[in-house]
Amino acid sequence: MKIRPRTFKIVAMIFAISLISFAAWCNDCMDIDADVFENNKRPFVCFSHDDHNDNAGIEDCAVCHHVYEDGKLVADETSEDSTCSECHAVEGDSKQMALIARYHDRCRGCHLERKSGPVTCGECHKK
Amino acid sequence: MHSIYSFVTGPLAWLAFIVFIGGSAFRFYSLYSLARKKDALVFEYMNLKFALRSIGHWLTPFGTRNMNLNPAMTVVTFAFHICLFLVPLFVFAHVIMWKESFNISWFTLPGVLADLMTLVVIFSCGFFLYRRIMLPEVRYLTTAVDYLILFIVAAPFITGFWVYHQWAGFPTMTILHILSGEIMLVAIPFTKLFHMFLFPFTRGYMGSEFGSVRMAKDW
Ligand code: HEC
Ligand code: HEC
Ligand code: HEC
Ligand code: HEC
Repeated sequence: MKIRPRTFKIVAMIFAISLISFAAWCNDCMDIDADVFENNKRPFVCFSHDDHNDNAGIEDCAVCHHVYEDGKLVADETSEDSTCSECHAVEGDSKQMALIARYHDRCRGCHLERKSGPVTCGECHKK
Repeated sequence: MHSIYSFVTGPLAWLAFIVFIGGSAFRFYSLYSLARKKDALVFEYMNLKFALRSIGHWLTPFGTRNMNLNPAMTVVTFAFHICLFLVPLFVFAHVIMWKESFNISWFTLPGVLADLMTLVVIFSCGFFLYRRIMLPEVRYLTTAVDYLILFIVAAPFITGFWVYHQWAGFPTMTILHILSGEIMLVAIPFTKLFHMFLFPFTRGYMGSEFGSVRMAKDW
């Protein structure tokens, strides 16, 4: 099979474009619960999971990935194999207000407590 | 930044709401006792039917002669008041904060619509400013306080628009946005912005006097 120069050029172009867009897309940002939030109202938060926790000096995974039993926080147990929405998306809450409030509570709450990290909408939901 | 944010969204927000509600109650009480003392006839003339009839006309676009004489003013005034109320109550960023603080939430406006309605408020304020400066009959009645009130009303919408679009310095602008909203809340009981609560009574009284005493329309 002979490959014509024109075909080669087109394929090479497509390859290059995909590579560039992949590189642009593939930064450290983690799309938190991306599949739960449809018709996004705000840009997604760029949450660089490991860097964030290193910079903030958070060692206990349960600060975010917690486990509750009978309404009581269980120490030394974590839930990182579940997404937050598995427990916090309330059925019938089409706008996900409950889940959003949990995120804001956990994330903004700590930033205010430590007086470090973003607190206004646009600082987290950067355009 | 963090301490200021905590302060304006915490203690200061509580204070603003308390002054707004307490101040409004106080204004109602003092106006009521003043009327009882100085002009008790007001209560004699009050007539529910004529009051509602007049209020109804004045709440209907082009429902009065005056509105037909000033069509531009009528359109802007109605659009302005509707947006002025709906945007702060139903914009998503406000409702989510009610959800976070008190676990209650309600209908929210789509972002684009809230954006447009905010522009309506801002441009309406520009129109009111233009009118106050350009029309001799309005300029004659205008005092510095009128300009100040116009600014107090426009400020939360200008800063809110700024913050939503994440223009330069938006985190600081967020603080100014919250502050300007609180200033407006506090200003309502003690300025002519109080007409938001008082208008059914002033209008209702006019309607009653015109309806049952002068046997005339007041629209
Ligand atoms: C500041 C809060 C926070 C801390 C602390 C934290 N995580 Fe996470 N983690 C998240 C969030 C948010 C997600 C996304 C969850 C979702 O999508 O529902 C996540 C997702 C994960 C996932 C799923 C990965 C993926 O790509 O989907 C793993 C695994 C995980 N975290 C492990 C850990 C471990 C291990 C620790 C402790 C060393 C830790 N996390 C500490 C917030 C945190
Ligand atoms: C295995 C289920 C489960 C997972 C996964 C889970 N949570 Fe929770 N979470 C709970 C329960 C149960 C409570 C306590 C009852 C309540 O407040 O609803 C709670 C409470 C909370 C609270 C309020 C109380 C507090 O700790 O301050 C926040 C905020 C919160 N979760 C955020 C998150 C976030 C963010 C994630 C994802 C990183 C997450 N949760 C993952 C079950 C879970
Ligand atoms: C236990 C405290 C804590 C929690 C919980 C937390 N953060 Fe942070 N976060 C910090 C601190 C401290 C900083 C500032 C770190 C620094 O100065 O480098 C920070 C910084 C950030 C930044 C800016 C720097 C960066 O890493 O990009 C973002 C964005 C951020 N946090 C997002 C989040 C989100 C989203 C969540 C919730 C899933 C969250 N944070 C939960 C403590 C926390
Ligand atoms: C500390 C960081 C932080 C701040 C501050 C913050 N958020 Fe969020 N928000 C999150 C995280 C994390 C999520 C989960 C999904 C995501 O990454 O967007 C979220 C989700 C959302 C969602 C659902 C997803 C979507 O786009 O429809 C909305 C809407 C939202 N936030 C609006 C706001 C508004 C409005 C404000 C300001 C009043 C705000 N947020 C402030 C972290 C933040």
